[in-house]
Amino acid sequence: MWATNAKIVGIVLGTLALYTLIANKIPQVQSEVPQALTLGANVTPEQLVAAGQKVYTGIGGCTTCHGLGERAPNLLTDEKGQGPIGARCGKREPEKTCKQYLYESLDNPTAYVVSGYQPIMPVMTKQLSPEQVWSVIAFLESQGGTVDVTGDDIAKSKPAAGAPTPGASPGFAGGSTDPKAIIQAAGCLACHKLDGQGQVIAPDLTHVGSRRNAESIRKKILDPASSVTKGYEKLAGIMPKTFGTMMSAAQLEALVQYLAAHK
Amino acid sequence: MMDSALLLQAAADSTRAYGEFPVIGARAFVWITAEVHLMFAAFVLGVPMFAVVTEAIGIFGGDERYDRLSKEFTRLLLVAYSATAIWGAMLVFGLSTLYPRFWAYLTTIFAPSMWIYAGLFFVESFTLYLYYYGWDRWKKGRAKLGHWTLGILLNVWGTIVMFIANAWLTYMMSPPRDITPTTDPTTIKLWHAIANATWMPINVHRVIANVVFGGAIVGAYASYRFLAARTDEERAHYDWMGYVGNFIAMSALIVLPFAGYWLGREIYQYDQSMGITMMGGFMSWLWVIQAFLIAVLFLTGNYYLWIGMGRIPGAERFRPYTRYLLIVLVLGAIVWGTPHTMIADSKELAAMGGSHHPFLGALGVMSAKNTAVNLMILTTFLSFLLYRRANTRPVVPWARTGTIIQGAMFAVAAAVVLFYGIRGYFVEAIVRIGFSVYQVLAVLSCIVFVTVIDILMARGAQSLGAIRWGKMPPRSQYALFILAVTFTWLMGLMGFARSGIRQYWHVWQVMQDTSKYAATPALGYASKMISLCVLIFLSLVAFVFWLGGLAEKSTFVATGEGEKGAPHVGH
Repeated sequence: MWATNAKIVGIVLGTLALYTLIANKIPQVQSEVPQALTLGANVTPEQLVAAGQKVYTGIGGCTTCHGLGERAPNLLTDEKGQGPIGARCGKREPEKTCKQYLYESLDNPTAYVVSGYQPIMPVMTKQLSPEQVWSVIAFLESQGGTVDVTGDDIAKSKPAAGAPTPGASPGFAGGSTDPKAIIQAAGCLACHKLDGQGQVIAPDLTHVGSRRNAESIRKKILDPASSVTKGYEKLAGIMPKTFGTMMSAAQLEALVQYLAAHK
Repeated sequence: MMDSALLLQAAADSTRAYGEFPVIGARAFVWITAEVHLMFAAFVLGVPMFAVVTEAIGIFGGDERYDRLSKEFTRLLLVAYSATAIWGAMLVFGLSTLYPRFWAYLTTIFAPSMWIYAGLFFVESFTLYLYYYGWDRWKKGRAKLGHWTLGILLNVWGTIVMFIANAWLTYMMSPPRDITPTTDPTTIKLWHAIANATWMPINVHRVIANVVFGGAIVGAYASYRFLAARTDEERAHYDWMGYVGNFIAMSALIVLPFAGYWLGREIYQYDQSMGITMMGGFMSWLWVIQAFLIAVLFLTGNYYLWIGMGRIPGAERFRPYTRYLLIVLVLGAIVWGTPHTMIADSKELAAMGGSHHPFLGALGVMSAKNTAVNLMILTTFLSFLLYRRANTRPVVPWARTGTIIQGAMFAVAAAVVLFYGIRGYFVEAIVRIGFSVYQVLAVLSCIVFVTVIDILMARGAQSLGAIRWGKMPPRSQYALFILAVTFTWLMGLMGFARSGIRQYWHVWQVMQDTSKYAATPALGYASKMISLCVLIFLSLVAFVFWLGGLAEKSTFVATGEGEKGAPHVGH
């Protein structure tokens, strides 16, 4: 019986050892706690690229869509024979340098939507600090191109003392009352569909005016939990509650009237 | 309200947030106690489920051997209950001393449910004592039915206890969206916190997983007793018991992926970024490991069945088919294990030539993986069917037609699975997700209708000879050990996945982990912890089995029927 017991112990330990060995042989990725990014005026390109890579694969959430070639263009690898983003960014717009193009793509993503993709990207300058935005640009430039981001770029992007912080009213959508600019800045199309554009995760807004009046739409934007469209009960709570504080009263009203007219 | 919030804040500020445990650290201590407690809890919830089912077969089928088998299962529970409680107490002490601020937050919301939990555990324990010690006293007639009712109650109490504990951990994963870091926990309604987005999917997933786990552990117990048996009759009994354990574990395993899919879908719907972290973020490699483990389970489970056909007269006619079943299983496992979206640096991406490997990227998508797993499930079901029919020949006049219909059902189910698998490549993601429902429905319908036809067709079937229980080579029993170890390891891995997707949050986006252990470790470290927990658990279970054998002799009773001493489950 001792021999049988030894065999059983051997099989148990061997099986455990095999699974542990395999799990240790694969790439080891640890989920880090996001750290506040502080980059001085004398930051080097290498420091920017290293910081940008962390933002890109971490808190920036860029890999959620970029890299699959399904929701958004590949950035780190070849896209349609044009090479990685650092190699192609300078050729995308005739009068834009790579740095300008990338910054505008993060600040106003609808400006240059690549053919074949939906305009679903949120305004990253509203979500990330200037240090994070510029470090991501440096990282993207390093993918086949030359890094020319400096500490000056970061300093110029920082709001002056006492100025409203990014994302705060009245700077939302550049203060524009154009409903389309507001919809873009708020990233509504990341979930909703409107006039054939956007995603179908949340209710289609193309005919929202036929099922909600202006009062109902206003209430829904200010307090998303106030009502839930039938069939989307499981998504209740996903819509951000911050639009009321982000928009000015004029912007909110412009958006409400625009949507209410979609019958 | 504001006053109470300020008081709570003041109390929180004056309370240290974290303690430290010597040598292994606070996180490792809580990890081990939580995991081992959970493994024992799964065991004491899973085993009563089929103890009560086998007792029912004994009562209503008039076969006392099932009754004795049920009692033998239950005997294993007595010591396991104590171990569950001891590890649970260690976990609570660990949380209250090492994570006092988090624990205070949780108890503020869930205190009433914790009192009910403790009360129910008490009731559950005494129901178990009554169930076990009353076995021989309430043996006949109505008293036996009353005894069986105790077994049902035991399951009811245990399930409620598990549902309550699930509410605490699922709240940590998916707190209702209106709860924010500034929400005063005293204002959170208990039911609002309990009925969170992932509570019911976890409940269902764990009920099924407990049955799988219980079956696997009982199978390992039986295989040990088989290997230690001194007589043919004893060997026959434990061979049969091992088969029953494996049958139950594999049957429930077939359903488990569907429950897992529901849970994953709820996680995505609750918070897409959490879902992406789970499937495409830093945890993406975990699913490759999971695929490997599932492949081991399917292959080992089928291997055990195929070896078992060697002791069934008439099974020879089905043997040639096993090689084709093996091919489908291996191909399915390879597809399921193909990576898709994972974190890679630019050099790795360049080496691959893209975010996916150019040859294998197409096989790593969900369309291919869903197709593979559904075909593996169909294949395993076919293995069971062949095993079940091995020593019989149907005599009903429509036997040939019935077999043709069964074959057609398999073909249609496989065709539906393949059709939607291929079609999934040509539609948008939101449409593709819906296709998996059709695939699942096709497979489940096939399983249900083919089983019904088979039961009807088996009526009065001609026997080709009795199963030679006990005539199994030792390697078949070692396969049962591999199944038990793999199920337990898989449970630890999935526990890490469920808990790890919260990353540096105690309560997702409500209470941040600010301890030095806030970063979620990589799979290598996690695998060592999982192996350690499995080793602790299996060592203690071995001790429990040994104690069970020490206190009382096996319920096996020599019948003098020799090789045909045990019935064929399913006949």
